[in-house]
Amino acid sequence: MSTSIRLHQVALDLPIFDVTAQSLKKRVLRLGRKNRLAEDNTGVVIVRALSGIDLALEPGDRLGLIGHNGAGKSTLLRVMAGIYPPTAGVVEVRGRAIPLLDINLGMDDQSTGRQNIRLRGLLLGMKDAEIRAKSEEIAEFTELGDYLDLPLRTYSSGMRLRLAFAIATAVDAEILLLDEVIGVGDASFQEKAARRLEQLHARAEIVVLAIHNPQVIRQSCNKALWLERGTLRSFGAVDTVLADYAQHTGLTVLNE
Amino acid sequence: MSALQLAFSDLLHSLRNWRLWTLLGWLEIRQRYARSKIGPFWLTISMGVLVGALGVVYGSLFGQNIADYLPMVAIGLVAWNLFSSLVNEGSMAYINSSSYIRQVNTPKLIYVLQVAWRNLVIFAHNFVIVLLVLAVFGVKSWLTLPLFIPGLVLFIFNGLWIGMIAGLLSARFRDFPQIIAALLQVAFYVTPILFHGAMLSEKHRWIVTFNPLAYLIDVVRQPLVGIAPPASTWIITGVMALLGWLFALWLTGRYHKRIPYWV
Repeated sequence: MSTSIRLHQVALDLPIFDVTAQSLKKRVLRLGRKNRLAEDNTGVVIVRALSGIDLALEPGDRLGLIGHNGAGKSTLLRVMAGIYPPTAGVVEVRGRAIPLLDINLGMDDQSTGRQNIRLRGLLLGMKDAEIRAKSEEIAEFTELGDYLDLPLRTYSSGMRLRLAFAIATAVDAEILLLDEVIGVGDASFQEKAARRLEQLHARAEIVVLAIHNPQVIRQSCNKALWLERGTLRSFGAVDTVLADYAQHTGLTVLNE
Repeated sequence: MSALQLAFSDLLHSLRNWRLWTLLGWLEIRQRYARSKIGPFWLTISMGVLVGALGVVYGSLFGQNIADYLPMVAIGLVAWNLFSSLVNEGSMAYINSSSYIRQVNTPKLIYVLQVAWRNLVIFAHNFVIVLLVLAVFGVKSWLTLPLFIPGLVLFIFNGLWIGMIAGLLSARFRDFPQIIAALLQVAFYVTPILFHGAMLSEKHRWIVTFNPLAYLIDVVRQPLVGIAPPASTWIITGVMALLGWLFALWLTGRYHKRIPYWV
């Protein structure tokens, strides 16, 4: 069974609960009213976050997601990670998919760096033996040395990022889903992260990353997907999609 | 997949991930007592003070023999504490774990099991008081003592399904944790914890007879005070656990997909 991601006509409605919608009182009060039809609006705002997404990724594919803020990039990654079940359509993901959406996930301030390696590793679905085997490699990448034995609350945000990134990229993922994470950190870290991602590319079979920087997509992806307001504007080879996107947004800087 | 099947498979995956929920449970305890010298034993101390004060005050108020009354109150309070925190914290199980639920695709019931684990650890700390009281006032009957184990299991299972439902409802309706807290407060006073059924006059006996929580308390308390719980107590608590779990699992399966959207 080879690794693949297949999305067929995927649509996703996100219910946005405002305070009134999540209140039981409102629900109960509504029961007594007669004009149910007019009152049937429960106050839940439904946002169509994705609609009609079709795509297929094979082993070796590196997909870059582009689009404005709120275009649905993170939501699409969450759908691929299995966090959000789609409202309509079929999502077929084969292989171990590891999401790296928020670097602060499962980072416990009172625990030491090493304890956090275990916590985050477990959250990402690693086994204890796997974590033990990887922890030296992780420690080396973070360059945190003795700091790893200090509680996380003493870390700077850059140190947290290094640790989080090192753990997430240590997992033997077949599918890696990255959200804007490599955009942060200082220059030397960025370079190192890019190198590590390349190594990872050799191991992971499919990589999907959402990122604002078209340069990074050009460097590390072979496919690109342009999302606009939850719909797929263009999907295909990096150059074509980036050119379309550049034309649309009128950003000439993209053309090198 | 039917709702029940979905929930069962989630439960199975959750149980297999025991390393994760035990760790998450511990972390929470560690966070609460970070850098405190004796850590969770503060709970033991405060519970001990409560048991001592209530035992002495209410014991003399009700004109009870302290050697009988204090063990009863100690066991009742420690058990009630476990039950109410299973339900109370269960109602926050999904809400408090929203950052995890929205970032990684884990089985959902690990967040309920994490609550269970944490409160079992706390219960173990509080149980020191029960042991202490039993040591001071003596064990009434060694024969009934082993019955405490199945009694505790039934007790925990009942607390868990209520917590599981509370967690699900609270994720959808955010007033629920407050409602649950208020209901538990009332339940504490109508459940024989500071009193027992025999202390009530015939006219008011129904408070105990029709209160399912009374049977739950009895099933853990009676074995420790030298009474073998009657068959009716075992049947009521057993059937409650079974039906409750089936219902809670069905509900979890039914709304399983919605959980990430709710939190």
